[in-house]
Amino acid sequence: MKKRSPKAMGAIALILTAALTVTACGKSGGAAEGTAEKPVNLIWYTIGVPQKDTDKVMAEVNKYTAEKIGATVTLKQIDFGDYSQKMGVMTASGEPMDILFTSSWAFDYVQNARKGAFYKIDDLLKSDGKGIVDTLDPAFLEGSKVDGHNYGIPANKELPAQTVYRFNKQNLDKLGLDFKNVKTLEDLEPILKANKEKNQGVLGLKMDNNFTPFVPYDYIIQGLPMAVALDGDNSKIVNVLDTPEMKQALTTMHSYYKAGYISPEAATTTSTNDVEKTGKWLIDLATTQPLADNTWSASLGYPIESTPAGPSIIYNWSVMGSMQAISANSEYPEKAMQFLNLLNTDAKLRNMVDSGIEGTHYKMTGDNRMENLPEAKNYDMPTFSLGNVMLTYLNPGDPDNKWDEFKKFNDEGKNAPTLGFNFDTSKVANEIAALQNVKAEVWAPLMTGTVDPAGYLPRANEKLKAAGLDKIIAEAQAQLDAWKASNK
Amino acid sequence: MKGLAGFFRDLGRNKAILLMVLPGALWFLIFSYIPMAGTILAFKEYRISRHGFLRSVLDSDWVGLSNFKFLFSTSDAWVITRNTLLYNIVFIVLGLIASVAMAIVLSEIVNKRLSKLYQTGMFLPYFLSWVIVGYFAFSFLSLDKGLLNQILSSIGIDPVNWYNNPAYWPFILVFISLWKGIGYNSVVYLASIMGIDRSLYEAAMIDGANKWQQIRNVTIPMLKPLMTILTLLAIGKIFYADFGLFYQVPRDSGTLYSVTNVIDTYVYRGLKTTGEFGMVTAAGLYQSFVGFTLVLLSNWVVRRFDKDNSLF
Repeated sequence: MKKRSPKAMGAIALILTAALTVTACGKSGGAAEGTAEKPVNLIWYTIGVPQKDTDKVMAEVNKYTAEKIGATVTLKQIDFGDYSQKMGVMTASGEPMDILFTSSWAFDYVQNARKGAFYKIDDLLKSDGKGIVDTLDPAFLEGSKVDGHNYGIPANKELPAQTVYRFNKQNLDKLGLDFKNVKTLEDLEPILKANKEKNQGVLGLKMDNNFTPFVPYDYIIQGLPMAVALDGDNSKIVNVLDTPEMKQALTTMHSYYKAGYISPEAATTTSTNDVEKTGKWLIDLATTQPLADNTWSASLGYPIESTPAGPSIIYNWSVMGSMQAISANSEYPEKAMQFLNLLNTDAKLRNMVDSGIEGTHYKMTGDNRMENLPEAKNYDMPTFSLGNVMLTYLNPGDPDNKWDEFKKFNDEGKNAPTLGFNFDTSKVANEIAALQNVKAEVWAPLMTGTVDPAGYLPRANEKLKAAGLDKIIAEAQAQLDAWKASNK
Repeated sequence: MKGLAGFFRDLGRNKAILLMVLPGALWFLIFSYIPMAGTILAFKEYRISRHGFLRSVLDSDWVGLSNFKFLFSTSDAWVITRNTLLYNIVFIVLGLIASVAMAIVLSEIVNKRLSKLYQTGMFLPYFLSWVIVGYFAFSFLSLDKGLLNQILSSIGIDPVNWYNNPAYWPFILVFISLWKGIGYNSVVYLASIMGIDRSLYEAAMIDGANKWQQIRNVTIPMLKPLMTILTLLAIGKIFYADFGLFYQVPRDSGTLYSVTNVIDTYVYRGLKTTGEFGMVTAAGLYQSFVGFTLVLLSNWVVRRFDKDNSLF
């Protein structure tokens, strides 16, 4: 094969191009699609463990939606841990899909909206999504705008986020103590001390390597140190590691670590599921919602009580906690919006998607009450991720006024200073990448108290500066100022 | 049209051999050559177009070299480059010595059944995923439940917080890397030793050479071409670190980054949340470009000394 024939090469090139174009243009539109007789099929990706009975349930769902809006859905689930990465690759490579789950904590909504992964739904909301606009607390759609446009539909659920200290009641009762006086991290000291002395083998403060003590700051990007104070001067972005509140919290954490209240391996622990199963822990930190103590107690199998660690605040990330977006490459964006509209307003559809088939997976015990049947284990969906939560039937043990409690909780939440502001990082992408690395290095050891902040914190701050934190803060500040000016 | 006719005559003559090459060639074509076109992403800010992947690639904006900046912009750039290079040099040198030595030892074991048993035993770790190896290591190094600390405290030494102490990790990582890779590489060398003409050893024995002299003057010279080729190939990968080894085994412990952060983990940590494909591609292109240059360079050096052993 010394001489390559140009013709042979040409043929190979032709085949390659053909193969590529075949994958690029496969479908063509039909004429009278989208009716009950000839429904269009929507592909829907959402988060959670794939369920055995999904196809069975979707067959029922499809009968209903074909009738109502002339569309059927194919539901595909991706497990929690894989969702961000897999969806990132799939949206970037143009995998066909119509509806997809997005949020502030999995497959980041703001960043992917800016990358062009989602369909702009401003007009669709007006034409096909009236039900959504009417049902949702306006704060949801307002707070989830990216550069002035809506790209996703938040699930109607709790709006604010509030950090609480959770107590494992069994272990607390053994100490004969209560948490009435617990307001701050430091107030936990006597309880942790007693636990260390009296409860052999019970972990004082349970945490994994994502733990961050509560400080009254509103983070510009979750998990990175740029933040705005909740009280006081909330127009300036600061490095949260440089604030007196955080310094004090870290010092306290280190003293707890040295006293043995924290697992020595907290900084490299990725999950505390095993400790939760054994119940051998006393206190941890969690984000609450109305009636959360009941939910936690039910899911853990032992009683949990909680007390606030901070105020109830509506943050950007809490507004964007669970959303459904329409994919940029969707062939039927109108149908997708009609489906989402139905999902968020129609109790029958919403509960079918959530709990399965009546009589197979659950049975009704009242007007809007249900009870799971044994088959429910084959169709166990994460309720919060599938649209309007307030349409779902009540479970046994839920009080009748459950959704009123939610509405009250939503009304009582205070707006965070940067609610509605989304930092566009494209100008500082290099610095963000470097900062993520420093953060991965210093965050967990500091937050879990593993290292002494007296010596470690100044070095950590130096590293953050070297990675370009000042430049990021300056850019974010400029954007925040511009946003504030235009919102006055 | 002599060229084309000659080409087909060539095809016909060598069809058996070409057919054998076909699966490998196709694999390379699909997974290595076609994706090479994607390296243009390294110079673009990737944005998704609603008209599919190809249009996304074509429609994204050109941004020049700015995707490469994050690799060089911070003080970490020096740390990750140093770690990647030094670890790989150590792995290449120690790996070569250890696997050749192990192959020779294995070939000298008279009891063939035992020899096979050792081989299999050494080969097994090669098939373990790094996640599992990470937990293996954790069962030894855990602060309160680890085997090593229990041994230490039983003989009256204070337990060591392994995952917070960078000083030990260069040794731990080298040890684990060797443990995992040695079985595979020594089998390759063992196969080559088995192929050495026995009459060479017989001639050496007649000349009165002892075992050590036989190894030095027959086995190792006969292995030299293979050693050179495998080493040259390893040099091509010198800018790629084994992600699992440097991420899973130290349990992503922040306090160890000064000795465990390498190019691959840096790129992963920096971009896993933002998922900028352009920057990821840029990092990959940089790694393969440096590797390619180093292979050319070392091949050139080898050729100056010994033409027969060079790759090309």
